Amino acid sequence: MAAQPKPIPAEYPSYLKGDPIGWLNTIDHKRVAVLYGVSALLFMVLGGIEALLIRIQLFEPNNKFLSAHAYNQVFTMHGTTMIFLVVMPLLLGAAANFIVPLQIGARDVAFPRINALSFWIFLSGAAFLHMGWFWHHGGLPDAGWFGYANLTERQYTPGMAIDFWDIGLLILGISTVLTGLNFFTTIVTMRAPGMTYMRMPMFVWSILITSILILLAFPPLTVGLIFLFMDRFFGTHYYQAVAGATPILWQHLFWLFGHPEVYIMALPAFGMISELLPTFSRKPLFGYPMMVYSVILIAFLSYGVWGHHMFATGMGPVADATFAITSMLIAIPTGIKIFSWIATVWGGSLRMTTAFYFALGFIIEFTIGGLSGIMHASVPIDLQQTDSYFVVAHFHYVLFGGVMFAILGSFYYWWPKVTGRMLNEKLGKLQFWLTVIGFNGTFFPMHFLGTWGMPRRIYTYGAGMGWTFWNQFETVSAFILGLAFLIMFINLLTSLFNGEIAPADPWDGRTLEWSMPSPPPAFNFVTIPEVHARDAFWARKYGSTGSRASQAPAVAGDPPNTEAAEHIHMPEPSFFPIVLAGGLLLCGLGMVVAWWRLIMAGGAIIFLSIIGMAFQYPTFGQKTHETEAASGGGGEDLRKVGVWAFIGSESVFFATLIATFMVYKSRNLGGPGANVLEIPLTSFSTFILLMSSLLMVLALAATQRGDRVWQRVWLCGTVIFGLIFLGDQAYEFTSLYGHGLGFTTDLFSQCFFTLVGFHGAHVAIGVIWLSVLLVASFMDRLPKSRALSVELAGLYWHFVDIVWVVIFTLVYLMQKVKGA
Amino acid sequence: MTAEAAIHEHFEEHVHPGASVYVTVAAFLVVLTAMEITVFYVSALASVMIPLLIILSVAKFALVAMFYMHLRYDSYVLTSIFMFALAIAALLLIALLLLFAYLSHYLWFMVPLARILLPGH
Repeated sequence: MAAQPKPIPAEYPSYLKGDPIGWLNTIDHKRVAVLYGVSALLFMVLGGIEALLIRIQLFEPNNKFLSAHAYNQVFTMHGTTMIFLVVMPLLLGAAANFIVPLQIGARDVAFPRINALSFWIFLSGAAFLHMGWFWHHGGLPDAGWFGYANLTERQYTPGMAIDFWDIGLLILGISTVLTGLNFFTTIVTMRAPGMTYMRMPMFVWSILITSILILLAFPPLTVGLIFLFMDRFFGTHYYQAVAGATPILWQHLFWLFGHPEVYIMALPAFGMISELLPTFSRKPLFGYPMMVYSVILIAFLSYGVWGHHMFATGMGPVADATFAITSMLIAIPTGIKIFSWIATVWGGSLRMTTAFYFALGFIIEFTIGGLSGIMHASVPIDLQQTDSYFVVAHFHYVLFGGVMFAILGSFYYWWPKVTGRMLNEKLGKLQFWLTVIGFNGTFFPMHFLGTWGMPRRIYTYGAGMGWTFWNQFETVSAFILGLAFLIMFINLLTSLFNGEIAPADPWDGRTLEWSMPSPPPAFNFVTIPEVHARDAFWARKYGSTGSRASQAPAVAGDPPNTEAAEHIHMPEPSFFPIVLAGGLLLCGLGMVVAWWRLIMAGGAIIFLSIIGMAFQYPTFGQKTHETEAASGGGGEDLRKVGVWAFIGSESVFFATLIATFMVYKSRNLGGPGANVLEIPLTSFSTFILLMSSLLMVLALAATQRGDRVWQRVWLCGTVIFGLIFLGDQAYEFTSLYGHGLGFTTDLFSQCFFTLVGFHGAHVAIGVIWLSVLLVASFMDRLPKSRALSVELAGLYWHFVDIVWVVIFTLVYLMQKVKGA
Repeated sequence: MTAEAAIHEHFEEHVHPGASVYVTVAAFLVVLTAMEITVFYVSALASVMIPLLIILSVAKFALVAMFYMHLRYDSYVLTSIFMFALAIAALLLIALLLLFAYLSHYLWFMVPLARILLPGH
């Protein structure tokens, strides 16, 4: 048994203590995690009630409990809520936010203010999704969480509900991408000394790979939602066959995001299980390197399997075969993980806690979901099962039997670290068994019902279909599942007020979070730990051989050292994140109700908040916790890594826009098409933008030399060249309108204006960014020591330049090449 | 070593080029753009226009990324981040083009495999 922790001195209170207002402006990753967790649990209640409404409606044939329209709203919001407002925030916002910095030995995430911003934007997006309730022409979205086109077009779904869904998901997407950017940068740059990639805890690995998935998978969804927005508000026809477009484009864009999204939810769950099983088996994780490679391979393959959601659309035998093969391949690394988990438990000194129960339950339930998933990789079988209840059974075994079991296990595992209180194990085990009974009773019979032909998404069924008994069985089971969650909430609440005080290391843990007090102080570590082995804390306790007798156990609790703690600088709390998120909410609301003043007000709030946040960055001559971490981690400046990761995400965004342009450019040409594009004008614009890049690097060189005069000259030149480019673009657009090429003239024009317009918007943002730097330069606040600020703006500017290089070639110079 | 000293040393390691290199790269960019425009207007080059334009565009892209964005001088970590994202972006673009138009023409080698996997499809 590990040694008992020392008490925390009163001058270093836990992160939970403090002014309640401090929860609004907090940027502490642990508090942000708690905010995420509480919000997600509230939405879990909402999503759970929606699930029970579905089951009540299907309890008997020809039921009138819900109307068809209400049923559509309920199942749409159940899916949307559970995925975007419950599972993802619990895994990433709550668990990863709290645990990752502790496991890698960092004091916070790379960008604490952006972390808080992610949460408040998440809350704005969640509120936005539900705003239809309060609107006369609103109501809740009713086109499914997948929002298939062209059901979502205005003529098929009038009113505001889809608008709220569309813009709500765009807002949530911003939050998620910021979160992914933050975790990626944190893990790459802020690991404790000695924590090499192959010494990282498996949960950290899973979050690193998940972050990459987020950065590269969300842009196609963003583009798809933007197209839908334009169709509904500006009269374009991105998904309308009658205009020569195809609704299948939405399916491609959605599932390009949607299948990686499955792994965005599954990989963190895999990481959790990989933490729980070794701890409660008292053995190292079996086959750690293969587990790492498997996560990487799963993530990579997950980009190439989206078509298996679309076999029924008739993509053709070659495409079907390609996606069938990639979908089957993904079973190999997944199988490796399952066997490694079993081998981890095998022969271990097992400790049968509630968390371990859920971890074992995960292996069984997830494997069932995985096996039915492989069936869907086979095209002939999938064509029989698609859109039936068999699919509902499959994905609930993956997302509930897999992901939710991991989340529930993790609640019991990490709750003591988060709150400083233990959960009741008896209630926990009761919850586990009720969950197993309720879950399997609800979802296993769906395999039968699907095979017997019961379609998913129907709001009722006839009495003679033979589906009544199993539907009634499922409904009763669903209420048992609801009871299990009720017990969990009772357990959580009683633990908060009356739970046993948690020691620092209640499970004899293996990773660094167990080395500090429960709950930890605000700054996490007094001294950043040095890591010498994979299971860092276990090695400190028992020696790197894992033998308990080899070394005297280390003391859990990492007692604060007054002298050292005085030198820790934590960034100041900030209200800008909550204000900015409020601006985003206003902006979105203004778009839905077409009230330009509201959009302008929201935009102004966003703009001012971003400027405010930028000037709050604590690098102006003082040592910060970020810079300490940057030198201790991967050696790269975290802001530079963050900007590059953002550029990577933007690359996929523009690739999606360009792909759509290439697909649609020759379809249904009602207007003059590419013939009216002016090559001389755009050649001049290209020259101007390329030369602006030259001025930008010269500005950077001047800053690095400390030459303020030339710094201002070159920066000013870059801004002027950027403005000339924008002026050229405005002239070009006006000229094209004069030639009869309007935004909604045909598919070519809408794709052209969208692609080139988004590039122009990026140039405009770059001009604003550089103008702020120019002002800073004239205020003598851009010295040589802040050359990195110029370099970061330059990276963004050059990226905009190389995107234009591609657009100039593919859109303007290859105008005579036929589209796909 | 203090954190600031470590960072200072880090930046010293990645010395960026001087103005002469930047101007030379700019000259190359102008020449390459001129070549692109020439390829567009000269009808004799119509048959090889697509590969030529792609090569010229890639060259410009690479010059900006390597010299102006300093990938040639900075850590391989940054290059890896960008190249991986770029690869995914390119694969996405190619995949969508293939799915919408060219699949049956250009992936002919997949047809026998498809016949085995999907008998009677």
